[in-house]
Amino acid sequence: MALMTILQAINHTLDQQMEKDSTVVVYGEDVGVEGGVFRATAGLQKKYGVERCFDAPVSEAGIVGTAVGMAINGLKPVVEIQFSGFMFPAYNQIAAHVARMRVRSRGKYHLPLVIRMPYGGGIRALEHHSESQETLFAHIPGLKVVIPSTPYDAKGLLTAAIKDPDPVIFMEPKRIYRAFKQEVPEEEYIVPIGKAKVVKEGTDITVVAWGAMVREVQKAMQELEQEGISVELIDLRTIKPIDKDTILESVQKTGRFLVVHEAVTSFGPGAELVSLVTQGAFLSLEAPPTRLGAFDVTVPLDKGEHHYLIDSKRIAYEVRKLIKY
Amino acid sequence: MLTKQFDPLKKKQLQILDENGNIVAKDLEPNLSKDQLLKMYKTMVLGRVADTKAVQFQRQGRMLTFVINKGQEAAQVGSAAAIEEQDWVVPAFREFSTLLYRGAPLYNLYLYWYGNEWGSHFPEGVKILPVNITIGAQFNHATGVALASKFQKKNEVVLTFIGDGGTSEGEFHEGINFASVFDAPVVFIIQNNHYAISVPRQKQTKSITLAQKAIAYGIPGIQVDGNDVLAMYVATKEAVDRARRGEGPTLIEAYTYRLGAHTTSDDPTLYREDKEVDEWIKKDPLIRFKKYLIEKGYWSEEEDQKLYEEYNDYVNDVFKQVEATGFYQLEDVFKYQYAEMPQHLVEQYEAYKHYLEEVK
Amino acid sequence: MYEFRFADIGEGIHEGQILKWFFKEGDTVKEGDTLCLVETDKVNAEIPSPVTGKLVKLNFAVGDTVHVGDVLVVIDDGKGEVKPQPVSEDKQAEEQGVIGEIEVSNEVIESSDEAKDETITATTQKVLATPVARKLAKDLGVDITKVKGTGPMGRVMKEDIIRESQAKQETIPAPEVPVARPEVTLPKMEFKDNVERVKITKLRKTIAKNMALSVSVIPHTTSMTEIDVTKLVAFRKTQKEVAQQRNISLTYLPFIVKAVVLTLKEYRMFNASFDQENDEIIYKNFYNIGIAVDTEDGLIVPVIKNADKLGIFDIAREIQELSSKARDRSIGLDKLQDGTFTITNYGAAGLSFGTPIIRYPESAILGIGIIQKKPVVDNDEIVIRDMLPISLSYDHRIIDGGDAGRFLARLREYLSDPMLLLLS
Ligand SMILES: Cc1ncc(C[n+]2csc(CCOP(=O)(O)OP(=O)(O)O)c2C)c(N)n1
Repeated sequence: MALMTILQAINHTLDQQMEKDSTVVVYGEDVGVEGGVFRATAGLQKKYGVERCFDAPVSEAGIVGTAVGMAINGLKPVVEIQFSGFMFPAYNQIAAHVARMRVRSRGKYHLPLVIRMPYGGGIRALEHHSESQETLFAHIPGLKVVIPSTPYDAKGLLTAAIKDPDPVIFMEPKRIYRAFKQEVPEEEYIVPIGKAKVVKEGTDITVVAWGAMVREVQKAMQELEQEGISVELIDLRTIKPIDKDTILESVQKTGRFLVVHEAVTSFGPGAELVSLVTQGAFLSLEAPPTRLGAFDVTVPLDKGEHHYLIDSKRIAYEVRKLIKY
Repeated sequence: MLTKQFDPLKKKQLQILDENGNIVAKDLEPNLSKDQLLKMYKTMVLGRVADTKAVQFQRQGRMLTFVINKGQEAAQVGSAAAIEEQDWVVPAFREFSTLLYRGAPLYNLYLYWYGNEWGSHFPEGVKILPVNITIGAQFNHATGVALASKFQKKNEVVLTFIGDGGTSEGEFHEGINFASVFDAPVVFIIQNNHYAISVPRQKQTKSITLAQKAIAYGIPGIQVDGNDVLAMYVATKEAVDRARRGEGPTLIEAYTYRLGAHTTSDDPTLYREDKEVDEWIKKDPLIRFKKYLIEKGYWSEEEDQKLYEEYNDYVNDVFKQVEATGFYQLEDVFKYQYAEMPQHLVEQYEAYKHYLEEVK
Repeated sequence: MYEFRFADIGEGIHEGQILKWFFKEGDTVKEGDTLCLVETDKVNAEIPSPVTGKLVKLNFAVGDTVHVGDVLVVIDDGKGEVKPQPVSEDKQAEEQGVIGEIEVSNEVIESSDEAKDETITATTQKVLATPVARKLAKDLGVDITKVKGTGPMGRVMKEDIIRESQAKQETIPAPEVPVARPEVTLPKMEFKDNVERVKITKLRKTIAKNMALSVSVIPHTTSMTEIDVTKLVAFRKTQKEVAQQRNISLTYLPFIVKAVVLTLKEYRMFNASFDQENDEIIYKNFYNIGIAVDTEDGLIVPVIKNADKLGIFDIAREIQELSSKARDRSIGLDKLQDGTFTITNYGAAGLSFGTPIIRYPESAILGIGIIQKKPVVDNDEIVIRDMLPISLSYDHRIIDGGDAGRFLARLREYLSDPMLLLLS
């Protein structure tokens, strides 16, 4: 087993899947020669040639639209959108075609494709480089949306996504791309899509998070533990389809629920989870199921972003409020 | 018409001032006043100094990611000099010197790259749209601004920009097509700096020139030596005049080169050879323009040296002002999302203030 | 002196090797001059000088490795003291993206346990109950986990809670308190001389009787605290004029009444009476607040009826009217009855704390002292604040110190934030 960052795990997984399955093709802007602006695809073109890993023109609609065609005709495209903020030109393809091919053709065609994209804030970036758009995908019937928060899960989930018969949006929390390492087994394994993970068991409150927020919750938990508050942390891992059972089971035990996300609050993923908990665990609730999301504003540039990002202190504050409720 | 004379399909390129500073097309040399020529030159120098220093500030840990313009000053200023007071500029993100020429304060431009939205709040009378990061969108905006001008008979022309990589986006096509259908008074400029981050120009399109793409839209197109400020001026001027006469848009390909990295976070050695860069350094637009001005008797080496020193101090001063702004107020995060803050924002704002008070 | 540190330049640099110096110690450099060339994993970067001055010290030689955050050179820029240059966090970066700065570290996180079998620990299910039922249990002081639910799937219903609450009251034996006063024969008061005997008024007689009754029947206890009302003081100031235009003299009392009513609604025990004979607590669903008025003849306590339905200005108007009527004794009997809670304001007399006596058969009384500016420690600094001293006496048979603490805490919330008070 080797120690890897999330980014290295992704690179390693792409390599492994390309090796094992000659129908896997990888492309996107700057993906070939340079190996991607974050180097997620470094070395792949050299190893597998320009027909399996290549630079696309600056054309997101083209990247995703051609992936649809390739997937219909025998390939498994794993395409990269350079930053999630630039997926909008491809949104027509994603919403109108990627999500619908199976249902429109009543199963005659299906799209085994993966759309990878770095997302999320906290990297002092320019405009359009910090958003969290998971809802915009999760809201579309026909898509699966996956977000890893550790190198181990990155490999397991990406492997599962590539093997999935349906299209998967694979969002990568770029802020923690290289923030830590973890043991990643060399052999192929999958982390099933649609299965959340109880990262730590606790008794007083259930906190659900994903991506870079998992680490923030963990930091908050250190603080809270000293105050005698026991948090059960669930890493959602798959935004859609949601692992309802794991969440409800936990809330029925703890009686309190908080979801933390980087995405803006209104109509965000938190609303979905709170609704699910309210209906499914109504009789167990000691406090209102609550969401902690970003303000409903355009992500501020660096000189205002510190106001916007959710950190462990705010998470701890919100947890305390619910415990005291 | 230049666009007939320099047919992109015949691989013709408009050049007036060659890389040694010699006039190669005497008949096309524009008749510009000393003042205007010096204004153009000085803006190019300011652009160069501010660009170089921004990279230095970044290397000192004081600036955020910066988009580097070095080598593209002629394409940026030659075009900007050809429009009038009432005209608009709709930029992409690599038009630093265009914006300076059109009256955007250096303070604003720095502030933006320093991570503060106030950088896009230009002073009254400066008709420039905010920098656009999402490639391609600006072409449709430009067409819209131009159509509004046409419909309201405002006599405004719009100058807009895109990179060579940007020509692959759908909106590049949609913007030009829309403009050509309605004869919108807009001039589309492609700054072909030969790279879209790591991807070379020839991997972006099979077209031999980018200018020839105009043909499909039924509008004139021309490839210009983008490091020749006079050629850029002349080509843009002709296009602007056409547009103002109501004859529709023109597509200009400025053939230039990005001497620096894509941004301060990019490493160009991954995808291009130093040899190639060295070749283009010889074609530096500032060198040939200076020669031209000196030969005309408008400028001297001494004045030149003094100008660089002066700008050096000026840029330092401006950057110090920018650094002094620091982080901005919480209120600014909420205040500008709508004309009036709706209830949900007021609540989020108040709750967060309450939180800050409580944790402090 | 300027200490120039090697910065995180977002270019994939966490360390670099010095390839070349363009200056030596003692040289003068200009701001912007390239000091040295540094080779990193990825690129060769020219490092420009941030200031103009004399190079006092080069800390690294050609071939040395320099880390982000190390002082590269010291430059005498003509300014005396050492000005350390701020460096963005020591983020090491092996490689970067094309935009922004990404945290890089070698921290190793725990291995995933998913390869191991998942042992699912038996989950203890919480009690099933609707939020409404939970609230009811809380209000009645019933521990919901002890209640046997009779609803679907064992869900605890409201009726279950009420039943439990009643059962509890039956099983806890009330301390035996003699209701009737023991016949006490008072020793005669005989003074030789130099005294004056004056008949008391009827009012005084009533007061005396009531006070004695209350004290002998109700085991009193008093809790005191001070509340920071700086914001309220400021707020009243701004509203005084508006009030005056409506012929209202706006004192603090109406705000306090309002706050008390809001608090009573939450802590109903303070708006109750203890019926010892029947072992029952009588909760009152109306809020009539008595205001003790100091008249020439003695205390009179007119009552603001249904104070929970009134706004601040209404309350102020009531108080004004009632107290002037009380003072000239033109007040009707109905205005003196049916109080559920009393406020006495001895702050007007310049006093701070007191041990007020409950108006029998109410369960509590609030004493208000004088608001004074006081030094208060806030955030380890001494600041001046307007402080309101308050004293709450309550019937210890049915109310405990903890209850009083919660009551006062909520009251404090309202009084220290006039906005909250108005919005509630
Ligand atoms: C819609 C969109 N997709 C991708 C990007 C990321 N990106 C930023 S610059 C760039 C290359 C642009 O190349 P080009 O158009 O030639 O302009 P240049 O940067 O060379 O000025 C890319 C792909 C973006 N900003 N917007």
